[in-house]
Amino acid sequence: MPEETLLEFAGVHTHYGDLHVLKGVDYTVARDDIVVLLGGNASGKSTTMKTIMGTVTPSQGEVRFRGTPINRLSTSERVKRGIAPVLEARRLFPRMTVYENLEMGAYTRKRGPDFDEDLERVYELFPRVKERRHQLAGTLSGGEQQMVAIGRALMARPALICMDEPSMGLSPRFVEIVFGIIQTINRQGVAIFMVEQNAHMALQIASRGYVLQTGRVVLSGPAADLAANPAIREAYLGELQVEDN
Amino acid sequence: MKRLALLSPRQRQALFAALLMVLLLLPFLGIGQANIDVAANSCAYAALALGLNIVVGFTGLLDLGYAAFFAIGAYAYGILNSFQLHPHWSAAWAPLAAIGFVAKLGAGAAATVHFTFPFWLMLPASAVIAACFGMAFGAPTLRLKGDYLAIVTLGFGEIVPIVARNWSSLTNGAEGLNGVGPPVLLGYRFGINATPYYYVGLGLVLLLLFISLRLKPSRIGRAWMAVREDEIAAGAMGVHTTRLKLLAFAMGAGFAGMTGTFYIAKLQTATPDMFDLPVSIMVLVMIVLGGLASVWGAILGAVLLELLQAWFLPALSGWVQGLGNAIHSPFLQNLQLTSASELIFGIILVTMMLYRRDGLVPVGRNEVRLSYEQQDAAVSRGAAPAVARLRAGLAEAATDARPAVLEIRDLTVKFGGLTALKSISLDVPAGSIVAVIGPNGSGKSTLFNSITGLVKPSAGVVRFAGRDLLGLRPDQVLRAGVARTFQNIRLFPNLTVMENVLIGQHSHLSAGAAGAVLGLPRVRAEEREARQFVLELLAMFGNRLVPRIDQGVAQLSYANRRRVEIARALASRPRLLMLDEPTAGMNPAESLELAEQIAAFRDFGLTILLVEHKLDVVTRLADNVIVLDHGEKLAEGRAEEVRRNEAVIEAYIGRGAVDA
Amino acid sequence: MTGTAVFFQQLVNGLSLGAMYSLLALGFTLVYGILELINFAHFNVFMVGAFVGLIVLQWFGLQGQSVVLHGAPLVLSLLAALAVTMVASGVLGVVIERYTLRPMRNVRGPMAMITTIGVSYILFNLVLLLTNAQALNYPDPMPSIDYHLGGVTIRLKAVIIWIVAAVLMWGLNLFVRRSRLGKAMRAVAQDAEAARMMGVEVDQVVMIAFFAGSALAGAAGMIFGLYYNFTQYSIGYTAGLRAFTAAVLGGIGNVPGAMVGGLLIGLIETISSQYIATKWADVIIFSILILTLVFRPAGLLGAQSPNRS
Repeated sequence: MPEETLLEFAGVHTHYGDLHVLKGVDYTVARDDIVVLLGGNASGKSTTMKTIMGTVTPSQGEVRFRGTPINRLSTSERVKRGIAPVLEARRLFPRMTVYENLEMGAYTRKRGPDFDEDLERVYELFPRVKERRHQLAGTLSGGEQQMVAIGRALMARPALICMDEPSMGLSPRFVEIVFGIIQTINRQGVAIFMVEQNAHMALQIASRGYVLQTGRVVLSGPAADLAANPAIREAYLGELQVEDN
Repeated sequence: MKRLALLSPRQRQALFAALLMVLLLLPFLGIGQANIDVAANSCAYAALALGLNIVVGFTGLLDLGYAAFFAIGAYAYGILNSFQLHPHWSAAWAPLAAIGFVAKLGAGAAATVHFTFPFWLMLPASAVIAACFGMAFGAPTLRLKGDYLAIVTLGFGEIVPIVARNWSSLTNGAEGLNGVGPPVLLGYRFGINATPYYYVGLGLVLLLLFISLRLKPSRIGRAWMAVREDEIAAGAMGVHTTRLKLLAFAMGAGFAGMTGTFYIAKLQTATPDMFDLPVSIMVLVMIVLGGLASVWGAILGAVLLELLQAWFLPALSGWVQGLGNAIHSPFLQNLQLTSASELIFGIILVTMMLYRRDGLVPVGRNEVRLSYEQQDAAVSRGAAPAVARLRAGLAEAATDARPAVLEIRDLTVKFGGLTALKSISLDVPAGSIVAVIGPNGSGKSTLFNSITGLVKPSAGVVRFAGRDLLGLRPDQVLRAGVARTFQNIRLFPNLTVMENVLIGQHSHLSAGAAGAVLGLPRVRAEEREARQFVLELLAMFGNRLVPRIDQGVAQLSYANRRRVEIARALASRPRLLMLDEPTAGMNPAESLELAEQIAAFRDFGLTILLVEHKLDVVTRLADNVIVLDHGEKLAEGRAEEVRRNEAVIEAYIGRGAVDA
Repeated sequence: MTGTAVFFQQLVNGLSLGAMYSLLALGFTLVYGILELINFAHFNVFMVGAFVGLIVLQWFGLQGQSVVLHGAPLVLSLLAALAVTMVASGVLGVVIERYTLRPMRNVRGPMAMITTIGVSYILFNLVLLLTNAQALNYPDPMPSIDYHLGGVTIRLKAVIIWIVAAVLMWGLNLFVRRSRLGKAMRAVAQDAEAARMMGVEVDQVVMIAFFAGSALAGAAGMIFGLYYNFTQYSIGYTAGLRAFTAAVLGGIGNVPGAMVGGLLIGLIETISSQYIATKWADVIIFSILILTLVFRPAGLLGAQSPNRS
């Protein structure tokens, strides 16, 4: 059902100078999906994120959003069209208040009643964030920062949120909270594409998954299948002995 | 210019000899006094440019106050060979008078001292004096980040001429020193004839050229370039970065000081405005024009700039004014292009930076394309020679030190309010492989950084072979026998594979600047040996690296960069090798191959601490596994045990994995 | 004059100089905060600004120093001249950024800094050639009214300079704290990558930083002309180095720091000239620069430059 497809990678290659990172990958994210991308460090996960957000341009292949190619679009244009990021290690603006951070999330939008609506929505989702809105973001705990980071992404009123390791550095309790929130957001109609190390937890809430290895997708399918696949453990934790051509 | 690189060494020597012959005969070619003077000035410029090239080009330190050292050398000679100072004569001066350093003027109570320090003595002395100023000034400031350093040097460059202007009793203020004595050689007193100065200048340039060319490919030159390329990696490879920067700074200052003495002897006067900022900028323009770090480029830039000012602009002014006369344009008639030279300098700087950053004579690097045979050649392992040498190194270390055991006790690291490591204790027994695993952000890299002196822990003990490592600089840690790689690969991007691995041997080589310049047999032998060792190390990776030895590392694949980094760490002949995710970015076959190699390192006696993400690599290799989570040690044990530990699975793989 | 009066007189003089240095220092700080680049071109954008101010004032018929205005015509012509000068200088800054610095944005090492030195040199020498190295008289349209306070004389001119500088700095502070673009500017300074991901056009923010900084430098240039009654090709260097020292002293990258640093440097300059000697003032100021960098690189108010990890 192509009209359901939100984000699509078709044969995408990327290069940093002489370094070939993504070697022809295909992903699809549908409107109601939570898609998880698994893979070791330096497998091309971060490059995938950068390619979605437009800070890396494919050298070959096409990235499509809502059916239109977006290869050449600037990051800000992508944010306007409905893609918002939750960056690795949160990356809040440490010397701005929580409120100002949320404002930055809505940077590409005209300030209007929508803004207050969205702010309310974020505060409802994260009462903690509301309590801390006048505090400098750098003074929050890791878990609180992750909430602000997700709230900041929501302020862009996105159709798709790209998350880079949302569980990184969080205590198990917070990981559970964050994953719960991701599900809630998804039920409210936002598609999620996330890179995650916490494979099983992520596969539990995901609809589909991909396993990336040295720039190639070596395994993909419905999350339940992947979770049941005995190979996944090897695939993610070590190396899947897949023909690497 | 690229063609030059294609000439054989023999052809290049012949070319140089021909050029030298022309330069030696130059005054006899009937070019006239004025042009010989131009040539002599070109020599002074070239000497200055060679000095600044060491600071900016080799070491990457932007020095905007370079003219200050030129001034110091100039005034050192000017004051000690003129009538500026004339203390009363006393018997104490007699010994100096006897060797001709001073003369007695007048007689009786009115007699004064006339300083007549000889030029030939002051030439090296000025180099030393300027270098001392360079060190005194550099010592506190060279810790600063590069751009701050630039502004500090600018301030220093400003202060020196102001002092010269204001300290009239010493320098005669803005009027300047007068009657500076000319050089005297074997009774021949240099006069106003430019020819002898030209020869002195030419000799000076040849000397400094020789020094630069000898230093650049030496242990010292490589360390300078390592500092320029990546200061942190340079430190981790055993380069005492502050000392090397200081050396570059002092050496640049020394070149400038010598040139100052030469220049002032030729001019026989010195005024403060000869050393203002425009001079520093002009020398910078020379090396930017020629190509930063390019020795021949610096000389070419200097000559071009002198010719621009001495020939081209006056000639062009003449033509333009002639044109103005012809078409009756008062504007053109009065146009003085000679005063536009600095405008042209500015244009050169901007144009070169925007369009030709490598300069006219780029530093040559062989960008060899491999033949298909080379690319496809079977991976053959030639590890034996390297292993033999590494083993010998270990045996040598073992005789005078305690076993290569790494002991960490209660190590705590805090960043601001965040605790990155909480009271971690672990042991790496000699000759074993210990792996540290854990999710991203769990503190693995912080652990590495605190062992190697990049991060200052707030509490705890790190001991290797009985020696306390905490508080040591990264280069001292390396000297203690601990070498590392970085998770995000920190090679020196603009250097070749050979140069990168040679820098790993920095702490084991002993050549100093003097030894390298003199080309002592010991130094040559050491260098030959070092290059041989690099070849052997690279041969451990079969044909993957050896054919690419002269390529810039920026062109290598991810996996090959990792291999070069490991070879570089091994080059330091460590007893403890610390590898931070060595197989990241490698495919399964490559990971496997590397895992085998790491196992081989242990088998010949290396102790290895490994951060790794891929559990199968860890299972294959590690004698002991330590699991970190949120900066705390979650578990420890044999790989199989750890893999079954529920807490570990939960933290690392996520909940539910146990049932899967 | 009594000793105390002399001291306070120097304070008053230092305040005027300091106001000028503060405006100039802000340009260094804005650009450094965002790009971590020391912009040497800024020295001579200031100098060009002084000439632009001169030309604009002359347009208004204020030739030489004989024409004196009062009341509304004075205020309006000064404001108009200031506005034109600031816009022209701002545009100059933007052009420099767009054509010489943007291509250098991701080049490692001292390359970008060397480019700014080249640009600075071009401006300096162009003006040198165009003015034949002559100093030009600046109009002095303000009536010479002096206020006496104890033994201290405060000239109307000084008061006008203080007001102008205070309003500009207040405006800039408001812009950076409150406006959408100002917040984007702070965001880029704290984490450029994250800001880009929020949809901030980093190029646009850099351009605005250059515009604002250069416009303030233009204002400072005009203040220099009005204060000293002349302008010359060479004024950028000394004033620029002092302003840079001010930015470092306050904590480079820190907007209030630049303001405080500027005032301090102005005061140090007048007071050291009074009590030590004018000819050593530069040495004292550069020593402060070096000592600050060596012993307190974050400056008095702490650097706000991003903590790169």
